[in-house]
Amino acid sequence: MSLLDFARGPGLHWAFIIFVFGICWRFVGTLLIARRIKLSTPRRTDNWLMGLKAIETRSWPVEEFHRVIRFQHYSGYIWHISFFIVLFFFQPHILFFKSILGISWPGLPNDVILVVGAIAVATLVALLGRRLSHPVLRKISNVDDYISWLVTTLPLITGFMAFAHVGGRYETLLALHILSVELLMVWFPFGKLIHAVLVVPSRFQIGASFGRRGVRA
Amino acid sequence: MPSKTLGESLFERGVSRRGFLKYCTALASIMALPPTAASAIAAALEKAKKPSVIWLEFQACTGCTESLTRSHAPTLEDLIFDSISLDSHDTLQAAAGHGAEQAREQAMKDNWGNYLLLVDGSVPLGNPGFSTIGGVSNLEMLQETAKGAAAVIAIGTCAAYGGLPKASPNPTGAVAVSDVIKDKPVINIPGCPPVPVVITGVLAHYLTFGTIPELDLHGRPLAFYGQSIHDRCYRRPFYEKGRFAESFDDEGAKEGWCLYKLGCKGPITYNACATVKWNDGVSFPIESGHPCLGCSEPDFWDKGSFYQALAQGQWGSAAGLGTAAAVGIAAGAGAALLARRKQHQAREEQP
Amino acid sequence: MSLNQESFQEFREVIRQLGETVQPVEGLTDNERVRRAKQVFLTRVHSAMAMDLETCIHCGMCAEACHFYAQTKNPKYTPILKVEPLRQYYRRELGPHRWLFKLVSRDITAKMLEEWQELVYDSCTECGRCSMICPMGINVSAMISVVRQAVAEAGYMPAELRAVEKEQNEKGTTFGAGPNELKAALQKMREDGVDVSIDKDKADVMVLISGFGINITQDALLATVKIMNHLGVNWTIRTDAYECAHFGMLSGREQTLRNSTQRVINAAISCGAKTVVTGECGYGYTALRWEGARRYGKPLPFTVMSISEFLGQQLQAGRLRVRKVPQQKSVTFHDPCKVGRIGGVFEEPRALLNALGVELREMADPVQTNWCCGGGGGVFLNNRAAPLRQAAFESKRSAVVETGAESVVVSCDSCRMTFEIGKANAHWEIPIESLVVLVGENLAD
Repeated sequence: MSLLDFARGPGLHWAFIIFVFGICWRFVGTLLIARRIKLSTPRRTDNWLMGLKAIETRSWPVEEFHRVIRFQHYSGYIWHISFFIVLFFFQPHILFFKSILGISWPGLPNDVILVVGAIAVATLVALLGRRLSHPVLRKISNVDDYISWLVTTLPLITGFMAFAHVGGRYETLLALHILSVELLMVWFPFGKLIHAVLVVPSRFQIGASFGRRGVRA
Repeated sequence: MPSKTLGESLFERGVSRRGFLKYCTALASIMALPPTAASAIAAALEKAKKPSVIWLEFQACTGCTESLTRSHAPTLEDLIFDSISLDSHDTLQAAAGHGAEQAREQAMKDNWGNYLLLVDGSVPLGNPGFSTIGGVSNLEMLQETAKGAAAVIAIGTCAAYGGLPKASPNPTGAVAVSDVIKDKPVINIPGCPPVPVVITGVLAHYLTFGTIPELDLHGRPLAFYGQSIHDRCYRRPFYEKGRFAESFDDEGAKEGWCLYKLGCKGPITYNACATVKWNDGVSFPIESGHPCLGCSEPDFWDKGSFYQALAQGQWGSAAGLGTAAAVGIAAGAGAALLARRKQHQAREEQP
Repeated sequence: MSLNQESFQEFREVIRQLGETVQPVEGLTDNERVRRAKQVFLTRVHSAMAMDLETCIHCGMCAEACHFYAQTKNPKYTPILKVEPLRQYYRRELGPHRWLFKLVSRDITAKMLEEWQELVYDSCTECGRCSMICPMGINVSAMISVVRQAVAEAGYMPAELRAVEKEQNEKGTTFGAGPNELKAALQKMREDGVDVSIDKDKADVMVLISGFGINITQDALLATVKIMNHLGVNWTIRTDAYECAHFGMLSGREQTLRNSTQRVINAAISCGAKTVVTGECGYGYTALRWEGARRYGKPLPFTVMSISEFLGQQLQAGRLRVRKVPQQKSVTFHDPCKVGRIGGVFEEPRALLNALGVELREMADPVQTNWCCGGGGGVFLNNRAAPLRQAAFESKRSAVVETGAESVVVSCDSCRMTFEIGKANAHWEIPIESLVVLVGENLAD
């Protein structure tokens, strides 16, 4: 079995299994930890609404904080958006999703993808630079932060290499690209990348629990 | 018995000297040799003694022989092929039955240690009776004939990698020649069928330099298999621009755009099709509007649909993922319940 | 009337020597310290907290919300870092992937808990501002209070807090202000012609005051009494349960908090109070309003309101009538974290100020993103933290200065102390006024 056959076959297969298994394990295992029963009289009873609202409001820094966190905020947005554009609108990727989901959608021209991908990598590099140089980030960072950075960056790098055919034979590069995505999927449930899933319940909770007290959070 | 040189034999058949030199130059160019090598090849080929060649055909469809011999018009390739001393070829020779076997044994005896063994078709290991010649199993015949061969050339994907017979579930237990022959150089010339000039090119190389050409990791001559179809494909610019045919009859297909989305295996297939082309340089599959099937790669039959794009993977089944999710939920619930119990006990113990 | 300066200076002296009144915790082995801390973590983690512990992406934004980081730029004051012992414990022993994390992480140690003492006690006021900035919606301050409790149980609580907490646990008083001192203070009011109703058997409204009110912020105590009389409600102060402050809560001693809460609940039930009004005390409000029922084990049979909330509602109901403040002036209002951001009271104090006819100039970060004064969580008692507190106070001071307001109105004794101390240290001239005092002085006849 060649590397590419492994990557596209059993590798992908198992990466998906670990991905799904790990996310379910972590999500359910967190959710089912004993809840705290709230006996106090709520000030407001529309907690659900406040929770849902927080999912939206925490997407933007409130005005008061805007000045101090704008770099993190906007670089975060640029990174996520450019990453999702490359992930969902590069034509070969659409083919990949089509083989899984059975549906496809129009892609973007390769030139656009190349530029957006370069932006994504540049943002990641800038964010790593910041993590390494900013005293706060350096202090609070752990292995997870660096591994998570690496496994998100590798698919972009290998993707560029496979697209441009640099650094090896195409099937090797394609295999490495797919393997790097598999690495990302395998790491996803165990590191901080899980935030992509947990951000929703987490934001909901703060909105609901502060909302219960009459505080917009 | 071989007495004439290759040159004599060719000129006798009406090949002009000019045509012969042209062939040698083309060959040198394909094999990425310097232009000066052309005359060396010509000189060597002209003087070479016709080598003795034994061709064995096992689990094969004869397509490789057809590819080589049934060209639209006689070409230099098949003339050269004709000119070698093909002492035994089950399909081509007139002799049949025991006579045929005798021809092979005689050729082996006369040229022991010097003949070239060409094989097409895979070797079944499952049951000796799956494929026999004159009551002798393919495996036994291959082992016996290979003993006195100078080199073994596996022609076609079946001989090179097991090919179609080896495709899952491989009912005959088919294997490649190189899986059987371990003590001799085996040159793989895969393709279903292989490009004719590659066969004669390898022969010419052997005759010229007396050595086997440099091979890649799959035992293929690098001179012919060094670059991917994709690398040399005339539709490559469309790939770079992201212009793909979406179906066989859409605008993109008519415009001759890249066939990647239609399952083209060009990017991972190494062969000379895109440069040498077929039918005397007329065309090759992609030029005819069909994606490359990747026939010169090991296990090409088992790599999913020919029309599944390279970007698509085998992600498993919904059932498999459903199971993974169910087990994950169970693990999470179990972990949480254990944590709850631990917390409950601790709270009970508290004053 | 304003702060009793003499008592205030005395009080500062008391704080300076507070730590010397208790013996350091000794005789605990490291194992025992860790065991106790873990016990706290184990019993206090719940699903919402678990979700928060799982979701952090280490973006560092919370540092920017913290006044201790904002003023010092010392990265160790990053709020989420203060949660680290809890996070480490959780991931290793309670989280869904605990079996995996155990393979790649180290256990918490007594040394770590000792080191974290400064982070959770000196450089955190549990103000909750960090919980407002987090893009993941993590309630950081709620977790820091758990770490506080763990560090406390491990024997690493600052001596000053231990002293007050011990006093409240053993004697039920704070800063020596017992029932007798309360009675004396109220007696003095009677002598001045103010009617005071204490220890009624039946009352609709039970008012809580803090030990500070007896000693230092007597102006607020007097104003409270006057306002209650003005409202004409059936109210009382109980000498068996008058203390609003909960040093068990801000020090992280669950048992002390439980006892002090229970005392108030019992008294309220016995006098049949429909409403319990907590005086100008942040923790006092949150401890009873939001945490009381949990410690009681069922919903409280009465309503809990902070005094600003109560008065605001009385105003809206037309029972509280105030006149415009004689000299028109501009003020800015400081929401105490525990009443505002954590407690949810924002509108009522503003309604009061509006009725008083003052010009309210909101700070740039108003209501739920309000900067903490820097003294909450007992930090104002912590001598070791004094320089740090003063630095953090600068965030508040500049926010106030920016408004150009002529005075600051606060509604929490602890904030008021911190403002007074910070103001004196910074040689800053600005009146610090109590909301209750402002209302009490301007009651309509």
